[in-house]
Amino acid sequence: MFTDKVEVKDFEKMDPEYQDLLRRIITIQSDCEIGGPHLYVEKMLPNAPTKLDQLLVARTAAEEVDHYRKFARLAGDIGVDVSFVLSQPNQKRFVEAFRGTITTWEDFAVFGFLIDRIGRYQLEEFIGCTYAPIEPLLPDIINEELGHIDYGATQTKELLTKGDESREKVQKAIDYWYIKGLDMFGRSESRRSERYCHWGIKRRTNAQAREAYMKEVEALIKAMGLKVPDRLKGRKYL
Amino acid sequence: MAQAVDTKEVDEYLEQVVQALHRTVRYAIPHVKKDAEVADKAVKDCEEILSVVMEGNVSEWLK
Repeated sequence: MFTDKVEVKDFEKMDPEYQDLLRRIITIQSDCEIGGPHLYVEKMLPNAPTKLDQLLVARTAAEEVDHYRKFARLAGDIGVDVSFVLSQPNQKRFVEAFRGTITTWEDFAVFGFLIDRIGRYQLEEFIGCTYAPIEPLLPDIINEELGHIDYGATQTKELLTKGDESREKVQKAIDYWYIKGLDMFGRSESRRSERYCHWGIKRRTNAQAREAYMKEVEALIKAMGLKVPDRLKGRKYL
Repeated sequence: MAQAVDTKEVDEYLEQVVQALHRTVRYAIPHVKKDAEVADKAVKDCEEILSVVMEGNVSEWLK
């Protein structure tokens, strides 16, 4: 396994596989960061339940734009222009979870609770990454993602206090986003995932990260008094 | 994926955009309960700023 630290100036000297994998993962991360606001800003910024929530949606989007900015800068340093992801249609996003639109507060809340948590997992994969310029960005970005997760979880719990109809809508959102979320980790038998680990770009394989996520999230879903969806039903990437 | 734009300039532009969004939200939050107009204007401003970001017309930004 590769453990050296690679600086920008050394990138071009690296094995072509390393270069390809790093370019790919930074492009996908940039796409996911801006993909969130593309999902929810249009409908949720004007329609969040309170004025404070509207402003918090705006702040969340601002933070995601800033995360995009930071990864886009990293991409630029290694010769990749990711500006195309700013405006590409949602249907063309790299990760399927970002290929729709969020139109209800239940979906927005559960998206924060479940999908921003995957954002945290993806960022934590870079802790100790052999590409040194990534690491200094992580504390602030992860901290902001933790804020989004907490806001999503709080809003989800709030919705559960509003009667059976609201509870059913939340369960439906959990059923949808949990499966989308599990697919976000990719295939368990992925050669690329092993190569990311080999080059020290990621810490864990897809299967290891997904397993940790399921353990964390299923306990939280149960603690809210909700049903944990069937882990396999509707999955595309096993 | 050839380098088509000056990513440093895009970075600087977006940094200003993000700061503007944060300033707008920070100013409005204390007014949420007492002055709905301030909050409404802030939301509108944020909508406008974010729509420019998501249009992604980078060449326009850098003119």
